[in-house]
Amino acid sequence: MSGLPQPIVHDMRRAKRLEWLTLFWMSSVVVVMYLAMGSSQAMKTAFLEDMLSLIPAITFLIAARLEPKRPSEKYPYGFVRVNSLAFLASAVVLTVMGGLLLFEGVMGLVKGEHPTIGPITLFGQTVWLGWVMIAALTYSVIPPVILGRLKKPVSHRLRDKVLHTDALMQKADWMTGLAGIAGILGVGLGYWWADSAAAAFISLSILWDGLTNMRTASAELLDGAPRELKGPAISQEAKRLHERLQKRWPEATVRLRESGRYMMASVEGVADPGPLPSAAELMGGDPAWRLGHLSFVPPSSPPDDPPDSG
Amino acid sequence: MARLVFAGALGILLAGCDLPRDPEGTESLVRSRQTIRLGWVSGARPDPAAQATLAKLSRKFGARVERHAGESEALLSELEEGRLDLVYGHFAESSPWATKVHLGEAEGAKKKPPKDRHAPRFAMRNGENGWIMAVARAGSGAAE
Repeated sequence: MSGLPQPIVHDMRRAKRLEWLTLFWMSSVVVVMYLAMGSSQAMKTAFLEDMLSLIPAITFLIAARLEPKRPSEKYPYGFVRVNSLAFLASAVVLTVMGGLLLFEGVMGLVKGEHPTIGPITLFGQTVWLGWVMIAALTYSVIPPVILGRLKKPVSHRLRDKVLHTDALMQKADWMTGLAGIAGILGVGLGYWWADSAAAAFISLSILWDGLTNMRTASAELLDGAPRELKGPAISQEAKRLHERLQKRWPEATVRLRESGRYMMASVEGVADPGPLPSAAELMGGDPAWRLGHLSFVPPSSPPDDPPDSG
Repeated sequence: MARLVFAGALGILLAGCDLPRDPEGTESLVRSRQTIRLGWVSGARPDPAAQATLAKLSRKFGARVERHAGESEALLSELEEGRLDLVYGHFAESSPWATKVHLGEAEGAKKKPPKDRHAPRFAMRNGENGWIMAVARAGSGAAE
């Protein structure tokens, strides 16, 4: 399989444009957050979360470049699964960072660290750095929430897990911003623990994202059945395809797996599949391009015997 | 939900005009004791800008300055434990104490001195953000 199916070319272009916009806007957020960071643990955690949010965008853009490449001698099945590899890598990074930041936040609470958010001189005025942090956090929420909303429908049409995860994480970014602001205001009101507590809360959300993504990514790498974009449940499209294939070849064993955004079907135990229906026919009302590959395996003779190892 | 969050945030902002406050209440203790417990690192030359900052603080809180002379190590430990409100000495920004206490800006300096240069500064207890702000404001006013 090489190139992209025609029906998704337009959406793919749009997705790439959105991811480039994400890189631009999130980099601006990262710079603003860095400048206002100070010694607040909540700010540091929110800053790192914003930095981590660049990873899905980068992995998507790299994968999108490799995916349409022609199969080569070394990679005869092409590069459609680059997507899955990228997804697993970003899930691992999220999990590790989430774990580390959670540890730091909890240690801050255990040690009773009193965070200092001191003064800063702006235009000759001595201002509390907390106000600057709150302004930075407020800004940090706006681009991701808008971009997340724009990406979600595109990710559905493309059946793209990296893009979908990216969209969900960004859509939920307002919680990070709000938690950060609550932490800073808490410190301002004299509650020293508010900062570490907010940091722990934000890192929990990073860790949660990482763990759920890892679960979905592993399913694909273990050749599990195609999953829903939203979670680990088997996709409805896959169930319908399975049903249709089974109906057409009732004596066969039908197995489905997922490769990137495509479904791979294997119909086993059929000596002669007869005239083959088109992909559109097999997919019913679902997008035909999703069926990336259909293969038939003849029955071993005599049936139920283990395959000959010679 | 969004309206509730907005109203809450507005409420906090309006109530927060006197932010930040101290978790251990240094500012209000200085006010109620009418005393600023100042540690003076032995041998530290007095600096006119620092003197002006102290005078301004003392006026603002209606508090007299109670001087305790000693070695910097001992004084900074006392500050960390809350037995002093302020320590004056010549400290570098890169000092290992910089994570345990809050070191203020160099007194009377127009430009920030290099990180490893010892400069006259006040040190305050970590996290006492209201008090830290009060000392910084007194300092920036005195520099004018």
